[in-house]
Amino acid sequence: MNDVAFVVPVYNEASVIADVIADIHTVTPHVVCVNDGSRDGSAQAIVQAGGYLVDHPINMGQGAALQTGIEFARALPQIQRFVTFDADGQHLVADAVRMLDLLEEGDLDIVLGSRFLGETVGASGAKKVLLKAAVKFSNVTSGIRLTDAHNGLRAFNRHVAETMEITAPDMTHASEIIELIAANSYRYREVPVTIHYTDYSTSKGQASVNAINIAVDTLLRRVTRQ
Amino acid sequence: MIVVQFLLIAAFVFLFFVAIRSRTAHGVSASKKLFFMAFIAVLVVAVLAPNLVTEVANLVGVGRGTDLVLYLLAVAFGFYVVNDYLRGQDSRQQLHRLARRIAVLEALERYRLDHRDETRPATDPQAEQSQQAQQAQRADDRDA
Ligand SMILES: Nc1nc2c(ncn2[C@@H]2O[C@H](COP(=O)(O)OP(=O)(O)OP(=O)(O)O)[C@@H](O)[C@H]2O)c(=O)[nH]1
Ligand SMILES: [Mg+2]
Repeated sequence: MNDVAFVVPVYNEASVIADVIADIHTVTPHVVCVNDGSRDGSAQAIVQAGGYLVDHPINMGQGAALQTGIEFARALPQIQRFVTFDADGQHLVADAVRMLDLLEEGDLDIVLGSRFLGETVGASGAKKVLLKAAVKFSNVTSGIRLTDAHNGLRAFNRHVAETMEITAPDMTHASEIIELIAANSYRYREVPVTIHYTDYSTSKGQASVNAINIAVDTLLRRVTRQ
Repeated sequence: MIVVQFLLIAAFVFLFFVAIRSRTAHGVSASKKLFFMAFIAVLVVAVLAPNLVTEVANLVGVGRGTDLVLYLLAVAFGFYVVNDYLRGQDSRQQLHRLARRIAVLEALERYRLDHRDETRPATDPQAEQSQQAQQAQRADDRDA
């Protein structure tokens, strides 16, 4: 799939990023890694594994990194489809491929991964409850009904890559993307995907209190945007 | 009493001049400057004539002048916090745009990709138009 670019936000993932890049290389040579001011050897690991290194001079957050990666990927020749993919090894390339196949049929602009249609391996009970509450919240604030609001695995076409502008720098960007889907009337669909909560990704992942941050930011965006 | 009045007024006057004479002051809107001047003037009056403040307080149904001052300060502080938050967001967004541009340009160069192939980040057409108009204007100036 030479017309596909994977966009991978990377923040201190030196120990796993090479494997993730190698996995993606089985389907496309274009892996855009946005190193977001990591303090470990992520940058070298990316270069050695043969990913495109796009280097933020400062840490700007996952949302900002995605936007940067998308803008760089648009400049690669012949890219028509884009995937956002986490660097911590939680996603499966096979899931991304299924989503890309759906896109290729041409009736959709964006395909979103959902862990609640699919399988969530190793997540704690509290995490699941929290994520489901986040979905309810997102459905109410965005007007779009989804089963998973904060999944990093997405596939979309060039139209979306050129029109979606993510401004929320941090984890709030997931809610913002859903709002943008509504605002730009993208044709969307959710598909089940598997998320692997390994010890590594759980220790690095989001602390649950961060949910409060996301909720407050989402409400503030509603108030300040119009 | 007199000493306190003197110190307070000296402080206000100092604040006023620091604010007005600062190098970046010309970037602040005129209405904000006027508002700030009025604010300082009211403070000076309040210090010199506390009874006046109490009278105004009674007029609007507040018992004591100090209470009125406290309420007004609370409101002013609220505005300040919100204003400051929004400004912080704006400048953070500008910083991020700049850093993103640097990161993308640097990467394009590293992989020898053509800058022209790149689609420009989505901007609103109006801004784009005025930008083009400005460029045309500049070209005219050069020609003249
Ligand atoms: N660019 C950038 N990426 C980040 C930052 N924080 C996390 N990431 C990346 O975002 C991806 C997901 O991060 P996680 O913290 O696991 O977030 P999550 O998967 O939504 O949360 P969990 O469900 O707890 O795993 C990984 O690829 C991280 O490297 C950051 O500050 N900047
Ligand atoms: Mg994770």
